[in-house]
Amino acid sequence: MTSDCDCPAPPPGQGLTRRALLRTAAAAGALGVVTTAVGESVTSRYAFAADRAAYTGDVLVVLSLRGGFDGLGAVVPAGDPDYLRLRPTIGLPSGALLPLTGIFGLHPALAPLLPLWTAGSLAAVHAVGQEDPSRSHFTAMAELERAAPGTTLRTGWLDRTVGLRAPGSVFQAAEVGSTSPSAALAGPAPELVLGSIDDFDLWGAWDDHQRQLWTTTLQRMHAGAPAAARAAAGNALAAVRTTTALAAQAKKEPVPAGYPKDSELAKALRDVVRLVKAKVGLQVACVDFGDWDMHSDMGNADSGRMHDHLDELARCLAAFAADLGPLLDGVTLVTLSEFGRRVEENGSGGADHGHGNAVLLLGGGVAGGQVYGQWPGLADDDLVDGDLAGTTDYRQILAEVLVRRCGLASPGDVFPGLVPAPLGVVRPRS
Amino acid sequence: MPGLSSEADRLAHLLRRTTWGLTPDLVARATKLGRAAWLEQQLRPASVADREGDAVVDRFPTLALTSAQVRSRYSDGSWDVMFDLGKAALGRAAWSRRQLLEVMVDVWSNHLNVTCPSDNVWDNRHRYDADVIRRHALGRFADLLKAAITHPAMLTYLDNASSTKKAPNENLGRELLELHTVGVGAGYTEAEVRDSARILTGLTVDDDGAALYRPRWHWTGPVTVLGFSHPNASADGSGVVTAYLDHLARHPATARRIATLLARRFVSDTPPAGLVDRLAKAYTAADTAVAPVLRLLLTSPEFLASADAKQRRPLESVVATVRALGFAQARRGDDELEGLYWALESMGHQPLAWPSPDGYPDVATAWTSSAATLARWNVTLGIAAGWWPKGFAQANLAALLPRPRPATHGALVAALGRRLLQRPLPAAQVTAICSFLEVGTRTPVRADSAVVGWRLPYVAALILSSPVHLAR
Repeated sequence: MTSDCDCPAPPPGQGLTRRALLRTAAAAGALGVVTTAVGESVTSRYAFAADRAAYTGDVLVVLSLRGGFDGLGAVVPAGDPDYLRLRPTIGLPSGALLPLTGIFGLHPALAPLLPLWTAGSLAAVHAVGQEDPSRSHFTAMAELERAAPGTTLRTGWLDRTVGLRAPGSVFQAAEVGSTSPSAALAGPAPELVLGSIDDFDLWGAWDDHQRQLWTTTLQRMHAGAPAAARAAAGNALAAVRTTTALAAQAKKEPVPAGYPKDSELAKALRDVVRLVKAKVGLQVACVDFGDWDMHSDMGNADSGRMHDHLDELARCLAAFAADLGPLLDGVTLVTLSEFGRRVEENGSGGADHGHGNAVLLLGGGVAGGQVYGQWPGLADDDLVDGDLAGTTDYRQILAEVLVRRCGLASPGDVFPGLVPAPLGVVRPRS
Repeated sequence: MPGLSSEADRLAHLLRRTTWGLTPDLVARATKLGRAAWLEQQLRPASVADREGDAVVDRFPTLALTSAQVRSRYSDGSWDVMFDLGKAALGRAAWSRRQLLEVMVDVWSNHLNVTCPSDNVWDNRHRYDADVIRRHALGRFADLLKAAITHPAMLTYLDNASSTKKAPNENLGRELLELHTVGVGAGYTEAEVRDSARILTGLTVDDDGAALYRPRWHWTGPVTVLGFSHPNASADGSGVVTAYLDHLARHPATARRIATLLARRFVSDTPPAGLVDRLAKAYTAADTAVAPVLRLLLTSPEFLASADAKQRRPLESVVATVRALGFAQARRGDDELEGLYWALESMGHQPLAWPSPDGYPDVATAWTSSAATLARWNVTLGIAAGWWPKGFAQANLAALLPRPRPATHGALVAALGRRLLQRPLPAAQVTAICSFLEVGTRTPVRADSAVVGWRLPYVAALILSSPVHLAR
């Protein structure tokens, strides 16, 4: 990384510039203490499990926009005087956008989300970053999901979140629509990886008796297996009874309208709604929507990779909210991506890896219709190494959601060393 | 964990790590040769007669086409040849006798991943497999690297084909450092990433899909990356590229990285530091040649001490299932490979298909998914029962039963276990499978017992769903 001399001065009390990063690094000793405290709370959680009240907070849905979501192309700062200068080809003029507040407008492909924005269930936070930015997909993603910079913690933030709660059903924390779990779920708290509800069954089990035989046998065969293999087997077997019942029920009911056809994201979000409606104890759901690494051919307002991908995202989220109906009041969805894209476009009609990004929040408890965060500007002096500066640590958003909507008492238990600075992007759960 | 007290156990351990799964035939041939001679033979794949592997290749004549021929015979953007490559990869893993070569092809295909299928490599991904990965899989890493980075498939996959001096695209220049060579911890700066991308400008692809060096696109001026410096004054920077890639291939950080990669593949998810040190030294001493490193690795005390420390990933588990069952490739059509290919999708592990440039992870924690576990159990039963994937030749389960037939259910399940796993199935699991059959271990087996009839595929599938089968 280059020196920090080109950074803008952080506003008092907040900001996430390299200077702030250096201050945090100096406090590494204090972080060590916090790390230990988290470690203890994780290892002792089983001892106190019986004392803990059943979870009553929101279902938290984390939608991972993998590959580096271009927040600048989705929640567009069209009113920033430098925006079109740096993006002469892929930039969208304000006339092409759906106007929001201030300098911002939505990419027109996000039109299906406008009613949710107007109704106040959808908000954006802009110029969101990580404390220790990396332009490596893999490092940035790993750090994003670990969410414990400056510590040696190896667990993911959702694992720590769930680990503080009373043990729940096998559906307590689930990766939905994918065959591999988000690293945010990594750690001692169990997670279910659910590719698809309708496919989640044992082929050899044609009735309850056969299912019982399979389940008992496979359980006994895995008794001495390495812990990870044993947990995966145990979770799969525990979930099968419920998924098969839900699949049978679905055969009798039509698929709700609005979900795009042939969309993996649509299938995954639809499955999340089914789990919410079935009240199987879902507390945390991770869903992936990748392919945002648009180094080329991003396109414009009417066509191109960005347009098509945003269109799918918007139609899926709108259908998700409609499908939930009043249950949206108890659901908060947050989008996260490992980094935003470079402000200046490259020679391939795309943008390379960058930093500052936009986060979207959807839910009944969201104080929507607003773009939150402090806009750092796009003038040369405002950029950090050519990137949008991160003025809001993404953990502040997650901490606020966890505290106000998901019953977390102390944000430091999940995000070691974080000094809470809520933005007011969600309302406390009533 | 069983100690490797006998030479037979040491050989079986070597075979579990260096092949796609044990078969009675493989064990017999390797036993006859002996551990060292078998390994030497595998390190020189051309010396291994491979009728079965050749037969797989013969089933996919598209793989011999040039990119230009693919372009003229298929509609633009067709995925057909890429799917053929994926199916052939499965077939070669399952039936080729050049097993270590097939393992290393998988290792390098992931290390230098070009996602197959993906949009822009539809006409050249099979050439990348043949002309880059297979050609250099057991040769020198420096040659492999140079062939990979300058190949049209990599140039389009990581956007170098459209990178120009005016607006360099950093994608390939960055991943070259981060993934392909020195690694993210090597201490390079963002300025060095930019220079890495600048060095590569000019490497592009022509309108017919062939590699092309375009001097007018090449950024000129001094460049410095991790000890590599060059005035880079000429518009023809192809010599700078070669010197740069040679420098990176020989960099000590790359030596450690390749040593770690191989030790992780063949020894442990957390390879011993001492072993990695020795392998890195061997890599440097051999001027990036791979075979001497593998030879040292596979005869090291750390390797011998690591039995069962690795877990089979879904692709390895499913191919090992086909091999254990002794199923042969289809005599016509490719139903069996097509079925396997899509079955692996449900486990997130189709061959060559990892969606990002870092390749499939090779540590057990990345594969502990309830969805993939359930899919693996189902596909194992599907294969054994002939439901799906189907279309194999010689898919006769009765041939697996020991003769004379054991007298009790317990003895029969144990014998079938030993046949399929090439080692004992633990007694508790034998008992569990007998409960599945709703009999006791001592219940006699009769000619009309379900276990030798309609339940036989279920028993074979349960044995191959055992955690024992998952150990690599």
